Amino acid sequence: MKPFRIIIGAALATSLALGATAAQPTWSAADLKTLHGLWIGELGPPPPDPSNRVADNAAAAALGGMLFSDKRLSANGQVSCASCHQPDRAFTDALPTGHGVGVGNRRTMPIAPAVYSPWQFWDGRADSLWSQALGPVENPVEHGFTRLEVARRLAAQYRDAYESLFGPLPDMTDHGRFPLRAAPVGAADARAAWAGMTADDQVSVNRVYANFGKAIAAFERTLKVRPGRFDDYLARVFAAPGPQARLSSDELAGLRLFIGKGQCATCHNGPLLSNNGFANTGVPARSDLPTDPGRAVGVRAALTDPFNCKGAYSDAPNRCDELEFVVVDSPAQVRAYKVPSLRGVAQRAPYMHAGQFSSLEQVVDHYSHAPAAPDGTSEIKPLDLTADERRQIVAFLRTLDERPAPSPKPR
Amino acid sequence: MPSFSSAPRRSLVRHALCGAALLATVVFAGSAMAEPKGLDLSLDRPSDQGVFRVRIRSQAAPIPMSRVHQWTVHLTDKAGLPISGADLTVDGGMPEHHHGLPTAPRATPVGTPGDYVISGLKFSMRGWWEMKLAIKAPDGRADRITFNLVL
Repeated sequence: MKPFRIIIGAALATSLALGATAAQPTWSAADLKTLHGLWIGELGPPPPDPSNRVADNAAAAALGGMLFSDKRLSANGQVSCASCHQPDRAFTDALPTGHGVGVGNRRTMPIAPAVYSPWQFWDGRADSLWSQALGPVENPVEHGFTRLEVARRLAAQYRDAYESLFGPLPDMTDHGRFPLRAAPVGAADARAAWAGMTADDQVSVNRVYANFGKAIAAFERTLKVRPGRFDDYLARVFAAPGPQARLSSDELAGLRLFIGKGQCATCHNGPLLSNNGFANTGVPARSDLPTDPGRAVGVRAALTDPFNCKGAYSDAPNRCDELEFVVVDSPAQVRAYKVPSLRGVAQRAPYMHAGQFSSLEQVVDHYSHAPAAPDGTSEIKPLDLTADERRQIVAFLRTLDERPAPSPKPR
Repeated sequence: MPSFSSAPRRSLVRHALCGAALLATVVFAGSAMAEPKGLDLSLDRPSDQGVFRVRIRSQAAPIPMSRVHQWTVHLTDKAGLPISGADLTVDGGMPEHHHGLPTAPRATPVGTPGDYVISGLKFSMRGWWEMKLAIKAPDGRADRITFNLVL
């Protein structure tokens, strides 16, 4: 085995030396370590979610896929998960903030990278994919629906698929016990109807609602982050099999800035180009939206969410390390938002948690100037990037464009 | 997703990486941050003022990335006698990136003399991390220690 390794090393050394003469860059050991960490080849399967026992169940994913695009799961019959998480737009929309039955306060997030994150939403107020899926359905400006209506929809349209996974649905024929429309959040009429139910009936509906989220999560876990030209370049650097590509001199300069002077890789690291953390980067507040404290409030919401990992509807309430050891009440959490994955970033403008910037150029300008935060303290310092450097970083970001999804194989 | 993750390929890539690293270091200076030279990477050494000797070890090997895991701690006085019942406070972060730990880990005794477990540690990226322990023994002796980890 040893001579083989030496040959590989020597072959690569030669190719690098030749590459250097062809204006391809050479990278330091520290650079190579950083670059290797960014490579999609380092992305393993999604981490297990023991709180969802059907997380990797194919039948649950099939049910979840149908629920994901079912517009009947909304107050006006016009809104499904897929209305904002559009499959042909990397599961986002092209809007500053999401449009459901009303207009939301936050930018729609892509789904495939979220499968790897311990925290969901821009403020991390959900600690699993399945608990995340429950929020928008009852949000008055998103689906505007209620969990009783979801349970009834499952009973009417999806009974067999549901019951084969989760067991019998409750008998909801008595409208006195099970109102047509009821939820502990949202509109006053729905909350009043919920308050009139017995605790036992509330629990049985909550269980159905949690299972609904778990099926959607199982579907979401089948979505894949796809490689881009950047990964083909890294395949070339690391002499890996598969497609290989070169980057232009601007793209390479941008990559060097990304991992060096630009300090982008401080947070945007790992194969998803995100550390899955939260940061205050001084993103301006939108004057037309309510005050938004970000993670400082999100972490508290996650801790008190009845659908969190430790709650009654979790399938593993004793295996909740992220929730158990979560940081709370840190000043750094004020106006801190999720560090998003940069996979496919150029394909999904606008940017930031409320669509504050319409282009990547504006985003890079923001990081170069590093203005003070509207609240809390920004973690970033001015970089004073030149116009060329800003252009090069954007050129590099475009190499993260995701390859198109493979078309379904003909049967 | 491409199937980049088979073991032989990983091994091949690792060795190619070594070769590339060796050559590239000679040719050019790097642009990513490298940890300072001469960092003390020992995980078994005296505390700052020499009050204690502390040995730490990850229960998972290699140290996992972006996953909550546990470490064991063995605490003795400088003569090597185990110290039980101490209060251990865990802190840390990445000095080069000016950020702390992404989680709030806690240390608890495990029952055998001088042994503790740190639960809830997570490292969210590769690079130089510090793990800091503030130690207070039941007899009032106190000291601190900072371990360096390069992941």
